[in-house]
Amino acid sequence: MIGIVDYGLGNLTSVAGAVAKVGFGSIISADAKVLGKCDKLILPGVGAFGDGMKNLRDRGLVGPLTEYATKAGNPVLGICLGFQLLAKRSEEFGDHEGLGWIDAEVTAVEPGDPKLRVPHVGWNELYQCADCVLFDDVPDESLFYYVHSYALRPADRRIVMGECDYGGRLAAPVPSGSNFGTQFHPEKSQLHGLTLLKNFLAKS
Amino acid sequence: MLRHRLVTVLTFNDGTLFRTKLFQPDYRYTHNFVDSWQVDEIVMLDVTRNGGDNRTFLDVVGKFARECFVPLAVGGGIRTLADVRRFMAVGGDKVVVNSGAVERPGLITEIAEAYGAQCVVLSIDARKMPSGGYEVFAGCGSKATGLEPAGWAKRAEGLGAGEVLITSIERDGSLQGYDLELCKRVSDAVSVPVLVLGGAGSWKHFVEGIEKGGASAVCTQNIYHFTESSILSAKKFLADRGIAVRM
Repeated sequence: MIGIVDYGLGNLTSVAGAVAKVGFGSIISADAKVLGKCDKLILPGVGAFGDGMKNLRDRGLVGPLTEYATKAGNPVLGICLGFQLLAKRSEEFGDHEGLGWIDAEVTAVEPGDPKLRVPHVGWNELYQCADCVLFDDVPDESLFYYVHSYALRPADRRIVMGECDYGGRLAAPVPSGSNFGTQFHPEKSQLHGLTLLKNFLAKS
Repeated sequence: MLRHRLVTVLTFNDGTLFRTKLFQPDYRYTHNFVDSWQVDEIVMLDVTRNGGDNRTFLDVVGKFARECFVPLAVGGGIRTLADVRRFMAVGGDKVVVNSGAVERPGLITEIAEAYGAQCVVLSIDARKMPSGGYEVFAGCGSKATGLEPAGWAKRAEGLGAGEVLITSIERDGSLQGYDLELCKRVSDAVSVPVLVLGGAGSWKHFVEGIEKGGASAVCTQNIYHFTESSILSAKKFLADRGIAVRM
């Protein structure tokens, strides 16, 4: 069973639909006990970083999720805001502490080219920089759907497994032990997104 | 490189797709093209004028969203955060606000604070006035607001709108091409992506919307364009003219 973390933000139904499409059962829950029994978790999310962390804290999920992912080593996939929450901190609307599973900070997307608009919305290539189980059957430079105004910047760029280019390189998928995060939305990136999601669910 | 998007806008009346085939609602279009066709994004709008009961529409969105693996923006009659929650709960990825934001601009901020700016698409329906300027109309194009579209878009961006959908009321269904001047005024006024709707009748109009209108995404409501071969041919047409699209 795949747990989809419900912390009051995001397109949970879309994520559950994509998980079902690639052949897995899922449960949407905010209950640490229920989530703790799941084989893998997806931390979805669209929204603001500060609200995301506050909602995780209010639901008593920060400790249990960290235990589940980093100590027990169970796979977690963070998507979009859920990916950024894995960082140590974010400057979105103030200074907020994150889950801290990845040594990274979240800062504003500021494209080098002033013609590029923010938020970064739409389909953009994923340049694969390293071998990763998520990329099985996903051709290099496949297009994925992004929608975000902030981006995760790892302290050590060598951990980045894939990048997109939006007036500068942005980290797209980053692993952290058995966990992964993607800035793009696999659940909204048609065939390649579903393949990547299936790789996480079946192989990670 | 970020691609320019081709977006399909679907309008519903009490849960029935507004466009029909041989006078019958034809859901095959909506269910089939999503997964295997080349559309980049879908907008579903409820234009029912029955006083606000949108349960039928929500039900249609829910069924549709389960097989929709491209971004889905939904809207129609959104006035409160509770309305937004209902749309998100059935599978929306972002919401489209129009008259509700004109009546109460703070609605934009409320949604942006709860779901992020990228979740809020401000839809503006505008009409060209005899004076040569433009005016925003609310209530499905029925109510003059006194607002000027570029100024309203700019203000909405400040309030937290993440994208702006600009529609020319006169061009709607005309197949005569987008109102490029209107689109340009709005895209020049804001730094968020602008989607243009109303009047596209040929692939050339898509090119104009992007190059002359400054749009990030070109939209059409006429689903008869969206047979598998034609959306691909639209994208080939754009690609041949140097516009980056997802093939």
